[in-house]
Amino acid sequence: MGSNISGSAYALTILSPIRNGVVPGQEIAFADKVRDTLQNWNLLINSPMTKVPQTYLCRYFVLDDVYTQSLPGGSALDTLIDFLPIVPDSLRKWAMPTEDHLQSRYLVFSCNFHGGPNGDVDGYLQGMWNAISSNIREVWGYCYGFEKVHDAASFATYMKQCQLTASLFFVGSNDEPLPEQLKALYLKQEFARFAVANQGLDAATVRANYLAFSQRVKPTDLNGPTWVPGQYRL
Amino acid sequence: MTKQLDLLDIQGNVIRAYGRFGYPVARYVFLNIRNAARARTFVGKLTKKVTTATQWGDGIGQVKKPVWTVNVAFTYQGLKELEVPRESLMNFAPEFAAGMKARRDILGDDGPSAPELWDPIWQENRETRDKDVHIFVSLNASAPGWPANGRDLIETSYEQLELAWQWLKDIVAQHGGGVVILGGNVGDNGALLDYQDCKVVMEQGKPTAKEHFGYTDGIGDPVFEGVPYDTDRVNGRGKQLENQQWAPLATGEFLLGHIDEAKEYPPAPNPVLLSRNGTYMIYRKLHENVATFDAYLDEHGSKYPGGKELLAAKFVGRWRDNGAPLVKAPDAASKAVFDKQLAVADKEGQDELLCNFTYDADMSGAKCPFSAHIRRINPRASLQMISEPGDPPGSLKNSVGAFDTPGALTNRRRVLRRGLPYGDVKDRTRDDGNHGIIIMMLNSDINRQFEFVQQQWINYGNDFKAGNDKEILLGNHSVDDRFPSKAVLQVEPTGNDTPYILSKIPRLVETRGGDYFFVPSLTALRMIAKGLIDPT
Repeated sequence: MGSNISGSAYALTILSPIRNGVVPGQEIAFADKVRDTLQNWNLLINSPMTKVPQTYLCRYFVLDDVYTQSLPGGSALDTLIDFLPIVPDSLRKWAMPTEDHLQSRYLVFSCNFHGGPNGDVDGYLQGMWNAISSNIREVWGYCYGFEKVHDAASFATYMKQCQLTASLFFVGSNDEPLPEQLKALYLKQEFARFAVANQGLDAATVRANYLAFSQRVKPTDLNGPTWVPGQYRL
Repeated sequence: MTKQLDLLDIQGNVIRAYGRFGYPVARYVFLNIRNAARARTFVGKLTKKVTTATQWGDGIGQVKKPVWTVNVAFTYQGLKELEVPRESLMNFAPEFAAGMKARRDILGDDGPSAPELWDPIWQENRETRDKDVHIFVSLNASAPGWPANGRDLIETSYEQLELAWQWLKDIVAQHGGGVVILGGNVGDNGALLDYQDCKVVMEQGKPTAKEHFGYTDGIGDPVFEGVPYDTDRVNGRGKQLENQQWAPLATGEFLLGHIDEAKEYPPAPNPVLLSRNGTYMIYRKLHENVATFDAYLDEHGSKYPGGKELLAAKFVGRWRDNGAPLVKAPDAASKAVFDKQLAVADKEGQDELLCNFTYDADMSGAKCPFSAHIRRINPRASLQMISEPGDPPGSLKNSVGAFDTPGALTNRRRVLRRGLPYGDVKDRTRDDGNHGIIIMMLNSDINRQFEFVQQQWINYGNDFKAGNDKEILLGNHSVDDRFPSKAVLQVEPTGNDTPYILSKIPRLVETRGGDYFFVPSLTALRMIAKGLIDPT
């Protein structure tokens, strides 16, 4: 079991290199177009990712380059050289770390989903394709190798080739399947309202009200009433 | 490894001086925002047409060279009106927030250069909200078909510029009063125009890179890392290394979000996508007093031992006719040799002759004076000068090894220069015509780069061991009897000549307006247009 599985939660990290090039008829690089498309999702009522079953949380971004933290080196050799003014500048500079850059720009997709105890990546990715294949084409269409993707199975294969098996977990989610979590959030919110509305009433009234409450919210029915995926406000 | 810039994300005017790429005319337009949401839609529409820094070509998958270009920038007020979040605004440089007018004391904009005398658009800017300059749009036009069409270059390119202007006016009109074009740019005969027009100075039907005093402008514009079409222009324009070689300056000196000469990222607002690949622009309208210049040059030219043209060259550090640097051609005889070399050199060879020099053999300023324009704007490695006991009076030499690199005192003060001359000189005996230059300087840190050069190197001379002598051409000179401006033209310390003192230098160039702008990347423009800037 990989470090990217925690209980039933799976941390999926995908880095897809974006091709160099210009969108025909527009003065915009492929990578900038990908970012623009993703940013347009902010203007929708909700993200297309809410249609993808079992998605806890996810994040997309375009990685332009690596960021340099600092250059002056921290190795023992550097320190020694700094203390010895006799060492020529050229040697001192030679000991400095070099500046690195990425060879390409990347689309990064970082996602936590309910994958069950065995981390069913294929099932999740195929579900993603079946739910939002047109959005996927729009976003991944400018990435290297995506031309081989034509159905749910080939999408899953492509994504696994781009996978980085790192454990990037978001905080704020437990192991349960998404419908369970959404129902739990709904119940928590409704119960808080119930408590406020019934404060100070006599026991018999509270009991009667609770019975009605329980029938209305149907605590064991995952189909509803419940929160919809992507709901983040009360 | 070699750095690759995302040229499609960088605005074209940051990387290209359009004048040098076949765009002889330009129109600069300033707008005021009246409705934030509609202004953002306007910016979105504009962004689709903005010219990037990409390499042009006619092949498949390449971007064709546009007939006319569009670029856009914002003042601090503009970003605020577009509702960029407060937390992002707070991280912009304080001098950018304050604006050029508020920095008058640092910039030396006094006397005839005072903001009270600027063009109305700039006088009224930052006084009342509805007159504030918020958005800058620049349109540069080329001349398709010229010279084969047998017509005038300026006329041909103005036809295209008119199309660009019409396009801009149309989209302003489509946005229902969301933005308005500000008037108040002074044109010919004091006319107030809705734009600032610029064009190259023509000589015998051919375009030149000259301004109205007759000097060639922009020869030594800096070259920095990551610009593919500047790789053969590094010598003399990048930074000087210990081994006598040149290297491109660090990208971060001119573009935010990249490592600068201090090996760190220049201060910039969050989020990174708002600032990365963007830069600050200093827009300045500089009026040229041609009559005063000619009269002063004539007066001293008749007395100066080297004659009038050499004196004119001493003002700037380059000869007026072909830009020959004084360091290489310090007198008439050496100039004749230089001219012969220049005449037979290919393009690259010409570039080497004009640009690839140092002040190592002119540390005492005998060839290129300490107050000459090019030595003040870019002292190269000449600032670490010392004199030791026993040296001849007036003699200075390079303090080798004083710093890590020869350009240590210069590399962080470089500024990209864009822009074009404006107006025509119809009567050289008068100062009050409509003629000067629009200069647009680009850098990552307005205070460290542009303002420092303006305050310390143009309007003061201490770093050059020249006391308070100002730069000869651009200095805010005064002929006031109490504090008359002067500059010293040095001579070889061991020779028999005496230094020539330029006394009572009059104000040759006057500021007529300007402000500080932020030039966002294409990504940032798209995000501003959508209202998606999120600093959290």
